[in-house]
Order: sequence, then C-alpha cells, then structure tokens
Amino acid sequence: MNAPPGEPVPREEAAPPRRWGPLPLRVLVPAIVVGLFALLVGSTALGSVPIPAATTISIFFHQLTGGFVPSVACPGSVASHQCAIWTEIVWQARVPSLVLALAAGAALAISGGSLQGIFRNPLADPFLLGLSSGAALGAAAIFVLDVDPAHQAALLPLAAFLGGIIPGAVIYLAATLSRRGPTVLILSGVALSTFFSAILSAMLLYNPSSDVSLNFWLLGSLGATSWSDDGLVVGVTLVLGTVLYLRAREINLLQLGPEVAQSLGVRPQRTIQWTVLLTTAITATAVAFTGIIGFVGLIAPHLVRRLAGVDYRIVLPLGALMGGIVLLVAWDVAVAAIPPIVIPVGIPTAFIGAPFLIYLLYRRRAPGGSALDA
Amino acid sequence: MSASDAATLRVDRLTVRYGGRTALADVSLSARSGELVALTGPNGSGKSTLLRAVMGLIAPQGGSVRVEGANVPELGLIERARRVAWAPQEEPIGENISILEYVRFGRHPHLAPFANEGPADHAAVERALRRVDFWEERSRGIAELSGGERQRVRLARVLAQETPLLLLDEPTAFLDIGHQLDALERVQAIARQERRCAVVALHDLNLAARFADRIVVLSHGRCVASGTPKEVLSPELLADVWGIVADLRWDPVTGLPYLLPVLPMDRPPLAGTVGPRPMARVHVIAGGGSGAELIPRLAREGFEVSVGAVHLFDSDAELGERLGVAMATEMPFTAISPPVARHLEALLEACDAVVVAPVPTGSGNLANWSILAGWAGRRPVALLPMPREPSWDFTGGAATRLREELLRSGAEEVGGVDDVVRWLRARLPDTATRSSRPSA
Repeated sequence: MNAPPGEPVPREEAAPPRRWGPLPLRVLVPAIVVGLFALLVGSTALGSVPIPAATTISIFFHQLTGGFVPSVACPGSVASHQCAIWTEIVWQARVPSLVLALAAGAALAISGGSLQGIFRNPLADPFLLGLSSGAALGAAAIFVLDVDPAHQAALLPLAAFLGGIIPGAVIYLAATLSRRGPTVLILSGVALSTFFSAILSAMLLYNPSSDVSLNFWLLGSLGATSWSDDGLVVGVTLVLGTVLYLRAREINLLQLGPEVAQSLGVRPQRTIQWTVLLTTAITATAVAFTGIIGFVGLIAPHLVRRLAGVDYRIVLPLGALMGGIVLLVAWDVAVAAIPPIVIPVGIPTAFIGAPFLIYLLYRRRAPGGSALDA
Repeated sequence: MSASDAATLRVDRLTVRYGGRTALADVSLSARSGELVALTGPNGSGKSTLLRAVMGLIAPQGGSVRVEGANVPELGLIERARRVAWAPQEEPIGENISILEYVRFGRHPHLAPFANEGPADHAAVERALRRVDFWEERSRGIAELSGGERQRVRLARVLAQETPLLLLDEPTAFLDIGHQLDALERVQAIARQERRCAVVALHDLNLAARFADRIVVLSHGRCVASGTPKEVLSPELLADVWGIVADLRWDPVTGLPYLLPVLPMDRPPLAGTVGPRPMARVHVIAGGGSGAELIPRLAREGFEVSVGAVHLFDSDAELGERLGVAMATEMPFTAISPPVARHLEALLEACDAVVVAPVPTGSGNLANWSILAGWAGRRPVALLPMPREPSWDFTGGAATRLREELLRSGAEEVGGVDDVVRWLRARLPDTATRSSRPSA
C-alpha cells in the first residue's frame, strides 16, 4: 500500500493498554458469553413449582442437545411421569421465558445504545424516550379491538411498531430541531411515556372483557410466552440488530458532530432517521411480547462502555449480550422474590434503573447540544 | 507528477446565500499542491462559509468548486471525503475515546462499507500521529487533552484522511502564541513535504504573513485581495477591510511583512474608556516620531487632539493624518512660514492644554518653541523630558533656552505618556462643562 518502506506497520496487538477501557476484548467477550450461559442454565431452577436445580439443568441440556447429553432427562431417582411433567415445565414454560429475557434484553440494549449514539445523549433509552409505551399502546389495541386470536401473534409486533412510530417521530424531531440540551429530550420522552401509559391504563380498565392483565403491559412480564413468540423476537432482533451493527461506524462518526461526520462521508440525517426507525421496530417487537420494561436499554450500554470503551462496533453487540444478562437477572429476581408469585419484571429493572438514571444525571459533565449541533 | 502544476483547488465565482443574506459573492481562488493558502478577513467575512462550501457542507447558489478537476457538489460524500478533509474550529467531545480511535475516524472514507480498518489504515493513522508527535501518547483519552493538544490531534485526524486538499478552520483558535506558531509550522511543513494543499482560515494577519505562500482576503463575502503576503498586505487594505491603522513593517529575520495595528480609525472611543471630559482638546507639538506613542494614546483616551506644526511626510504628520486630527503642516525642509505659524496659533487658541513631545528641534521647527513661549501662561503646558543622548537641540542652544523659559513661565515637566494623561485629567476639571454629561 502506501506505507513507506522501513516503517513498521502497526498492528492491533502493538497498541498500548487502554486506560479508559480497562478490559481487553479477549477477556471481556468470553467472560460475558460464559456468564450469560451460566446464568441461563442456573435460572432454569427458579420457578413457582419447586424442582431440584440438578434436575432442571439436566432437563435443559437433555432438551438442548436433542436427548443426546445426558441421554435421560431426569436423574434416575425421578419417576418417569414426574420427569415428563417437569420437562414440560422447564422446556415449555421456563426456558422460553429465559430466552425471551435474553432476546428482549438484547433488543432493548441495542435500541438504547444506538439511540445514545445518534443523539449523543447518554440518557437515551427506549423506555425513557417513550418508544416502549407507544409500542405497548399499539400492541394493547390489538387485544382491545378483539382481533381474531389466530392473527394476534403476527399482528402484535406490527401494531406495536405503529404505536412506536409516533414517539419515534417526536423524538427524532425533538432531537434534530431543538437546540436544547439532552435533558430536555429525555423529559419530552418521559412526558410522552406518561401520556401513552395513561391512555393504555384507561383502555385496559374500560375493557374488562379483555383477559390481558394491565400489570403485564405496564410493568412487563416474560411469563406468558412460547417458543414461537421467542422465535419472532430473536429473529427480528438478530436481523435488525445486525443492520444497526453495520451502521455502528457511522454512529461512531456522529460523535464528532453532524458536520464533521458529513465531511468524513456520512449523511448524519439519514443515519439518524434509519437508526430511529430500526430501534423503533426492534423495541416494538420486544414490547409486543413483554410489555414495558424500563431501563435495560439505559444500563446495559453504559456497563459495556465502562468495561470496553465507546466504539459502537463493540458497544452494540456486547451491549446486546449485556442487556440479556441484565434482563435475565431481573427476571430471576421477579420469579424468586416472593414465591410463588411472579412480580412484573419491570419492578426489579426500575429498582436498579431509577437510581442509575439519577446517578447519570448528576455525574454528567456540562450539558451538550442537540443531536445535530455542530 | 505533472498534476503539481495544475491547481488542486479551483473555486470559481462561488456564491452562497443564507436566508436572504449573501455570505459569499463571486469568490474565486485557486490553490496548488505544496502550498499553504491563508484565507483571511474580519469576523463574518465568509472564511468559514467558504471552507464549508468547498467541503460541500453548504450548497452554493452559484459558481463551482473543483478539487483535482472534479466538481465537488457532483461527487458522492465518500468521494468528497477522499479528496477534501475539513477541520472545524471546534468539535464536540462526546465520549472520551482514545486519541488512536479518534484519529482512526479519519479513515472512514477509505474503508469498504461495513469493513474494519486494515494494515494500510493503521499505517496511515500511525504516520498522521507521528506527524503531530502524538504516536507515543495514542492511548490517552481525548477529553483529557489541552486545547493545543486537541488542535494537534485534530490535525492528525485530518491527515489520516490522506486527502490532497486540507481545509483548516482557524487551527490556532484558543491557542497561546507558542502553540499557534507550532500548529502553523506543522501545517506548512506537511503541505511542503507531502505536496498537499492546505487552505487555512486565519484571522491573524501576522500568522498568515509568516506562514502562507499566498493570502486571500475576504471582506463581506467578497474576495478583495489575493497574492503573496508582500503583494497583499498594505496599510490601505487594512484600513479598507479591517478599518484599522497599521504600520506595515518588515521582519529582518524572515524578510516577511508584519503588521503593527495602531488603533481604529473614525470610530468613537469605546464606552468606558472615555475620560470625564470627552471634548477636552489637547494640542501636541511633536515631530520626527516623538509623538508616535503620545498622539494615539491621547486620541484613545478621548481627548480631541491637534498636532503641529509638523512637516509633511514627517512620521508624526502621517500619523496625525491617519488619525484625522487637526494639524498645522509645513512643506518638507522649510522653516515654519507665517501662514503655518498663524494656523498653529489658532490651534493653540482652540485647545485646553498643550503637550510638547521630546521633539528633535532644528531651524525648521524652532518656531514651534518661540510661538509657544510667546503664548505661554494662557493654557497649561506639559513638557515631556528631553533625551540627554542623542542631543535633540540642533539650533545651537536656542531651543533649549526657549524650553527653560517655558518652564520658568509655568510649564511643567511630566515624566511620561501615562503621567501626561493623569496631568491632563487633573488640569482640565472645568472643561467637563463642554461635555454633554453633567459634571460630577
């Protein structure tokens, strides 16, 4: 290439340790992946029906490997009819919830990370910006309008997406037109969120025929899910998350302001528009099956930035894994806190998220400008 | 390559309008590789707008911008970014990324979509960082850098882009004088050694004169001058474009022109700098440069100054002319004639106080002393001390005797220009009635 002879070509390994991101990826990525998997396996033991942990783990691996390892689902001491019931509970009720926790956590974290990047706003989060409640309102409309249950599963994410379009457009306009600081964007989002939640509450209260629980939509739940729902959330999150990931380099450049980004070959408006659209779709898909779960999209990207630095090519994929971990932990807490009751999963996330938000608000340096300020 | 003869940048009759205001009107300029072109002009003259328009960040209403022959507005963003790199005055610092990561952003236009940086990119980043002496410190966070370091790192980001054309908007903004020189020296060296073309917006004319191969002067969105520093810089241009009086001098070391601003012309003194007696009128007897400090200072302090008698083309006469003060002037190499003497007497009559600069006196201007001595006692007179060496009196003692006579008849010797101002303030209390302000 154009490297002059005699000058050594630097390599990644030659880079000195990063002071601002203490952990190298070769440590961080395996740690996160192993931690996530261990958490997933361990979480199978939690639930309203007491099943020994060794048994649930055994069932999990038996089912996961298609009956290969271990060759019998339950240890020998378990009666076969009991084993069949437990297998049903673990593999058809518990694990789908756990997988949904991973997928929805990833979806929310990717959304939050991308929004934080394009708006150059560390407080951006699909819940705080009102995307989640807009989507929840859209999805709830499907139940209230008595849509044929056969079509519900397919229509839910679509309705949620349509519901999320309104707050999506509002935050896009607020962020790109207003020259006010990042806190104003978040406050507008919180106002929208409160407004949508109020409509949602009213809709569900005055529609007693609906068997959908209000708590489920307002505070989130992972309990009522199935493998097919999971498949949809996992698929959409993977596909749209990959599309966003491919734009991560552009999101990086937006950190230098829209004009510099443009001088380097990025169309800032287009990147912001696409990102808002994609995060709305990802968030809506997750919300359609989980209800409103706050703060995961705020916490997970921050943890990753703290651990691995601020390159969005790392923040988005690692943030997705971290979002899965955060939501999985929250779900475990929701299941195990007051057995046999499962509390809405939005409660534990709020317990971690609200203090975290306050910490961010007070820690922040001088307020920045709007997303399109130079 | 023969491309070095052709212009890297050619701007032709560029016109940019913003909301009804014409920011640039018919601006044309060209710049070659290896050249540092300084774009200068007062605040709001369109320097930044021109750079933005060349970068393609602003769509022009007319004219064309060509970089290496290609029409910039027709190029895709990536193609543009491979030809032109732009550094604004200031950039937001979002996250505290490392210097290395920051400079790597400059490689974006060279990467295939969705690809990561390869060896060529890492090599370019290393070269750019070594160029600004930041390779060893590449893992520091950009939020921890000082203003000067940030400018250097920004330069590295732009260099990593490896474009033939560099556009730098005030790369010396917020820098102290040492860092200003350092920054421009680096840009000059890069332009010359790497055969790049650098167009740099600079409001500091002396920096422009020191480092630029050519200077382009913008005023109210128009190009009013362009050429080498020697061709462009002139007192007339400074008066026209910046509205200032400046002495154009020559640096004996670099052989380059530099400017010494004197003070704003035809502009009322700034509020708050005016003394309690804005109308108080002071006559100054000077000549041979002895009034160079005194006359502008008195004008700046809010006194209405008159000067004389001085000979035409004397430096104090030129200074007085630039300041637009009342003056009694005589032809060069002639003794003060009766009409000029009468003019001087009229000026003395109209003034509230007289200040005599340490004026070298010969037969040509001896009459200043004799007229003042004959008129003494009617106004307060301050005499600035005369130098012992070299002698100021070329009249065989006549001027010295007249000066002593003045001191006997009430004139006071005042130590320096600051003391003159204080002396005048103390001496002219009642002239406050001349001002529209009530006396305190």
